[in-house]
Amino acid sequence: MSLLRRFGIAATGLALASAFPHPSVAQEPKGSLVFAVESLAAQTLDPILEQRPGNAVYQAVMYDSLVGFDIEKGGLGPGVAESWKLSDDGLTWTFKLRPGQKWHNGDPLTAHDVKFSIERHMAPNSVAAAAASMKRSIKSIDVVDDLTVNVNTTAPQLGLPATLSRAVAPEGTVMPKKYIETVGEEEFRRKPLGSGPWKFVKSVPGDRLEFEAVDWPHWRGRPNFKTLTILQIPEESTRVAMARTGEVAIASIGPEAMQGASRGGLEVLSVPATMQAVFQFWGTYRPAVKDSPVAKVRVRQALSMAIDRKQIIEHVMAGKAEIPRPYSTFAYTDSVSVDRWKTWTDENFRYDPVAAKRILAEEGYPNGFELKFANTALPGTQFMVDVGTAIVDMWGKIGVKVTVKHYEWGSFPPLVRGNQEHLTGWASMYRTVGRPDAPWRYNAAFSSDGGERLLGEKDNCNETCKKFDELYKSVIDERDPVKRTALNDSMVELVSNSWMSIPIIEGMGYYAVNRTKAGRFAAIPGRHELGDVFERIPRPDQKPWKK
Amino acid sequence: MSRFIARRLLQGLVLLGLVATVVFFLGRLTGNPADLMLPEDATAEDRVALIKALGLDGPLHQQYFIFIGKALQGDLGMSIRMRQPAVDAFFSRLPNTLLIIPWAILLAMCVGIPLGVVAAVNRGRFLDRAAGTVAVLGVATPSFWLGIMLIFVFSVELGWLPSGRMGGPSHYVLPVITLGTFLTAGFMRLTRSSMLEVMESEYIKLARIKGLSEGVVIWKHCLRNALIPILTLWGVFVGNLITGAIVTETVFAWPGIGRLTYEAVIYRDFPLLQAVIILKSILILSINLFVDILYAYVDPRIRFS
Repeated sequence: MSLLRRFGIAATGLALASAFPHPSVAQEPKGSLVFAVESLAAQTLDPILEQRPGNAVYQAVMYDSLVGFDIEKGGLGPGVAESWKLSDDGLTWTFKLRPGQKWHNGDPLTAHDVKFSIERHMAPNSVAAAAASMKRSIKSIDVVDDLTVNVNTTAPQLGLPATLSRAVAPEGTVMPKKYIETVGEEEFRRKPLGSGPWKFVKSVPGDRLEFEAVDWPHWRGRPNFKTLTILQIPEESTRVAMARTGEVAIASIGPEAMQGASRGGLEVLSVPATMQAVFQFWGTYRPAVKDSPVAKVRVRQALSMAIDRKQIIEHVMAGKAEIPRPYSTFAYTDSVSVDRWKTWTDENFRYDPVAAKRILAEEGYPNGFELKFANTALPGTQFMVDVGTAIVDMWGKIGVKVTVKHYEWGSFPPLVRGNQEHLTGWASMYRTVGRPDAPWRYNAAFSSDGGERLLGEKDNCNETCKKFDELYKSVIDERDPVKRTALNDSMVELVSNSWMSIPIIEGMGYYAVNRTKAGRFAAIPGRHELGDVFERIPRPDQKPWKK
Repeated sequence: MSRFIARRLLQGLVLLGLVATVVFFLGRLTGNPADLMLPEDATAEDRVALIKALGLDGPLHQQYFIFIGKALQGDLGMSIRMRQPAVDAFFSRLPNTLLIIPWAILLAMCVGIPLGVVAAVNRGRFLDRAAGTVAVLGVATPSFWLGIMLIFVFSVELGWLPSGRMGGPSHYVLPVITLGTFLTAGFMRLTRSSMLEVMESEYIKLARIKGLSEGVVIWKHCLRNALIPILTLWGVFVGNLITGAIVTETVFAWPGIGRLTYEAVIYRDFPLLQAVIILKSILILSINLFVDILYAYVDPRIRFS
């Protein structure tokens, strides 16, 4: 049996093995579930006009994705497709759809809808983030029968199922072909039609979205509540207040609001492994900073050793975060020896200021040095700034004098693009989201033609940089699972030992839950948003869902 | 009179042109919306494609002339985030803001004007200082802090009022108090100074000599004349409320144009930001023009100056 076929079968087996536990459908949905979130993003129910966060928060409620989640472990699992496999030549992915799926108007969901949806995501009027990459890599899509669709690629695309999974991106969202072609795009945007466990009721711009539970058993689980309302409440204090008064059942919050929420009688739910807060060094390979302390790998390692991660977790994250694994790897990361790397980080991410000072002295900086640091945070992740402030303080204790400059998140990317002139020799805060396939994030950060180019760039690529480029190319071309894991491990090792982008904490997503309004539930690991979880949330009088 | 109106209209148009230019270039200095929309692992190819899809791929000066050309025809572009005409987005939210502004002004006038009168009548005494303290507190208290405190006390602790969002009459109370507090202080200070000026005038002395009661002198003759400059500044106050509603609407999750402005800034939604600021400017200029015309109509010295 060929390696390709073995890989395909393994993928299929994995998908089937992690099939969703089917919640009880014995009880009729009743009552209302009200959820408050900071932003409803574009607040459109046309999937081609929304980005990942909005898709995950509210579009996921009423739409299904071709590939879904492993809801126990996180990462990929069955969705509209219950299995998928790669052809022997590596150029065709075959997706087998689960039978009996239907749209909210009763029409059957078929492979024609899948083909239409992928093509629509790649259409010129789509703002899908991966539209250009998909257009380049997808050659054609063939409907084999109503439940089978082949996606033919221009070159082997091992990551395609991930691209079409909501665990990673919104581009797998399946839309109703017949309905859109009949009523037109404008009408579809006014009266959207999905196949998820909730159907659309109303959208009030800037205020709320209303949904109603479908009245048939859905493969994602039949909702326990009759209606779901998602409110846009931009101010965190107001969201917490509304949860305390019972105006909402669940409110998304940040770590800074956790203690207040707990004191106010709310239960705080944390979602594991949604992101890593990291600090990283920019342009250290450039001649302009060749004599800079941060150009030395041991100095960068010493800066990591000076960080008391446990204290940050305790005091900044209110105890609800973890010591991270290596850069952009999580417990659910595919094709990486996660246990091996857990052991590695336990040893290497230890707090040892004495050793850090000793290393600085050995490297010629017994009295420390001056460092420029850019502190920045994505909207809604204010804790990142606090984490940045904490590590700056800790570096001060080993004699590093840090000049801090704060950047609003939107003003930071222009510094990263181009020649990175203003960042060269600087350290900065950054983050990496939790997704099951590490190589794509590694490419963006470390490849010589990636966005961040932390190890080198095309015309200035040193040995480490060249080695990374070779490894990355090998990883994305390797279809043998064992060899792929070995290559991924080598890539993780190379990056970890470069001490160029260093995880500080493995952060989590947080929610304040009013237990008189919603029962106990667990979120999907790595999935900050609750769009795929609402249907599993029990009413207060029902048994908890999981745990 | 018509020359006066024409002159003010022309000034308004010049100002609008300046506002449009400044907001266009200032917004673009702060980054690109594609950077906020794309995930961290997006490729350069994806970025270029998204920028093209958003219509931000041309040179800046070209984008500017397209923007000005379309703006002259009433088209302020398509919101990048919401994918709908920015003008439509503005006018769908404007009524929500206009629902709370009159109440905030009414509150401010009902509290601020009597306080100003009391302060003026009791000049230098305890009541004057107390009213002054209230005014200082009103101006100095940040809206976001006041809003959150009001929510904490009246919603969370006492459970009397909802924490936020649009709804029935009870939903208006806290946002109106938050929005009106700053204005109350303004009305109070203005009334006090205006009253003090009027109280020193000859015709008020004459009223007293004629034996009118102090109440009639103060509340009828003094206040009526002291209100003229206050009403003139009413337009400025409304303008302040329209622009100042950003914080209040954010704290109370009120889906008005204040929050729309906030969202446009955060998401670098240039067309929406441009539309919101230009349309707000038109709104404020129109109100000011209306007040100016009214004032010029009442006081011929203005229109002939």
